[in-house]
Amino acid sequence: MPGEAGWPARLALAWRILAHDKGRTALAVAGVFLAILLVFVQLGFFIAVPRGGMLLYDRTQFDLLVASTAYEYQVQPGEFPLNQLDKARTAPEVALAAPLYFGSAKWRSGEDGKAPDVFVVGLDPRYPIFARRNINRQLAVLDRADTVLVDSMTRPMFGPLTTGRVVDIDGDKVTIAGDYVLGTGFMGLGVILVSAQNFIHLFPYRKLDQVNLGLIQLKPGVDPDRAAATLRDLLGSDIQIFTRPELEAHETAYWTTRTSVGLLFGSGLLISFIVGVMVVYQILATLVGRQLPQFATLKAVGYGDRFLVGTVITMALLIVLASFFPALAAAVGVYAVIRDETLLPVEMSGARIAAVFAATLAMAAASALLSMSSLRRADPADLFG
Amino acid sequence: MIATPHPGRAPRSVGFVPLAWRNLVANKPRLVRSSGGIGFAVLLMLIQLGFERAFFNASLEVIQLLDGDIFIQRASKYRFATRDPFPARDLEAARAVAGVASAWPLYAAWHELFWRNPADGKDFLVRVFAFDPDQPVLSLPEIEANERDLSNLDTAIVDRRARRFLGMDPPPPAAELNGSKIKIIGSFALGPDFENDGTVVVGDRTFGKLLPNPRGGAPDVELGVIKLIPGSDSLTVQRAIAAAVPTDVAVLTKAQLLELERKFQADVSSAGPIFVMGTLVGFIVGMLIAYQIIYTDVSEQQPQYATMKAMGYRTRYLVQVVLEQATLSALAGWVPAVLVSILLFRIIGGVALLPLHMTVELALVSLLLTLSMCLISAVLAVRRVVSADPAEVF
Repeated sequence: MPGEAGWPARLALAWRILAHDKGRTALAVAGVFLAILLVFVQLGFFIAVPRGGMLLYDRTQFDLLVASTAYEYQVQPGEFPLNQLDKARTAPEVALAAPLYFGSAKWRSGEDGKAPDVFVVGLDPRYPIFARRNINRQLAVLDRADTVLVDSMTRPMFGPLTTGRVVDIDGDKVTIAGDYVLGTGFMGLGVILVSAQNFIHLFPYRKLDQVNLGLIQLKPGVDPDRAAATLRDLLGSDIQIFTRPELEAHETAYWTTRTSVGLLFGSGLLISFIVGVMVVYQILATLVGRQLPQFATLKAVGYGDRFLVGTVITMALLIVLASFFPALAAAVGVYAVIRDETLLPVEMSGARIAAVFAATLAMAAASALLSMSSLRRADPADLFG
Repeated sequence: MIATPHPGRAPRSVGFVPLAWRNLVANKPRLVRSSGGIGFAVLLMLIQLGFERAFFNASLEVIQLLDGDIFIQRASKYRFATRDPFPARDLEAARAVAGVASAWPLYAAWHELFWRNPADGKDFLVRVFAFDPDQPVLSLPEIEANERDLSNLDTAIVDRRARRFLGMDPPPPAAELNGSKIKIIGSFALGPDFENDGTVVVGDRTFGKLLPNPRGGAPDVELGVIKLIPGSDSLTVQRAIAAAVPTDVAVLTKAQLLELERKFQADVSSAGPIFVMGTLVGFIVGMLIAYQIIYTDVSEQQPQYATMKAMGYRTRYLVQVVLEQATLSALAGWVPAVLVSILLFRIIGGVALLPLHMTVELALVSLLLTLSMCLISAVLAVRRVVSADPAEVF
């Protein structure tokens, strides 16, 4: 009984329909390719903003972040006393506790006489806090008076970033000792690293014993959650301690709920998904429509609706699978362009690939269901109309 | 009498109903499908374009509210929302120039003052503007307060449309700015932009108390707002002011001030490329959908086209029918997309407190994009009509 034909038969039929009209199939694959690419691009934007806000965290090495209870997000961290970090160092789990100072100043050596704002990160050059070893190696140079390292992503409006150039920051003359590759994220248009001593020199109203953030590295094998609990007891309630996952959740929530970013890119993402469904549906409906007499013939010889539906779903899956991997490759390329254009860290990740793949399958399923109605209309009697 | 076209000189339409229109409405479910497909692509473009304009307009909106003809600011100021003030004496020098009717200061702080929400005691960075309460140089929208009362120390008016978490709507009776108690004496409706969550307006004396001039005396001026005596030549006065103030002070018209900001946003912010790319992807996807629709349609109508060719209609006429039909499909997708986006802009703009509006410009730009998207696809798909062979009908 043909109605009982299994999935291999459906696959074979789907394959033959697709192979029969290669031009149309190529067009369908191209369409679905674009739909998937669209979802990748919108998802990239959606995630890029929180990631941009976490750039400094992503590229420094720490297990726990110590912050004031007034902490809002990276660029508005609040302050807490330095001696809290001394206290943290007494805990047996802690390998290193490094202070960070943040400030904003006028870079009075910009192009065209402009004075762009520069984000200044003050740190203790002894602590190797950066994930990239070559930045850690450069830190020693910051011990010299009035010396800075400049992020290579600092915008052209700051003028040349050549080593040895003397620039004016809020009236202080400082020397560029080199550049480093980290990225400016949402810290500002330009970012520089200075030693804590030089930081206080640039910002005389700030005090060394009030820090903005503390980065804590734990000894090997220590569980971050348990160490965080220990430190919370040790440091008291006017301090917040974030583990890495807590910090990521906090920053993502800030960017997606506090700013309009979540809403804007969230709606872009949603519409791109709907457009994707429309594209796949359009393509499937056309393919089904063209094969309608053949489907009717199959029905006439005893194949059931279930067989035909299975065949259409198989066709949808084949097209989606053929489109997904080229779209993934193209998305990697598009992300590189977005990175260059926006200087945001838009990167491909396993989770993102999985999410888009799931969305793609959903798109295929939704559009296969939508095109069913035309399939049901396949009436053997129409053949002799 | 039914219009019978003369095959040799094919008229543009058969009867009163153009053929393109008949083709379009012949299959209603397909029409719904195709206008849905094209419509969503248009909606995607509209949303991206709308967001882009909202992003840029939000940062320009407050500059538009400045009540002056000519503005002076420190030459090193690279954008509006950054504190880079100049000494008050430079504004005095400008005021003395012939043709100047008035010259008043605007004081401002973007990253210096924290507002404590009295409801939950949390601190948030706010944008603060200040002026002489007798000379309000900023036309605050929907103001519900007597600006003159700002002359009392430690009073402020706040933005009802600020982001909710600031607790400014309804305005609380009192709050704190950088730890100083402030009495709230009224409100206005401005709204946030992408960098500022809310705005507070205080009098010049309160501002001087909150952010004292490190050199003592009156606070430095962020922007000098100058009005001209009616009838005086703007360019001449602008040059005369430039000659009267030091070279580190720039003299700008409002158009130049807006242009500086627009250029900064376009050069530096990530928003431009993000939304342009979103629009481009929408366009390409839309083109693909349109191609799919037109190609399918042309294929299905091929016997009819071949028959018409056999009757003597020229290929040019048939191509024209396809292009007309593409135009109609474009409109069938564009109209609902515009209507839906008006609704979406309202909802998203209301929630995000952003100036998301459907404008004539936006409607026209999207129409142009939709038409070109459909016509390019039609040109690509029309080759089938050209190759329609009358013999194939049999």
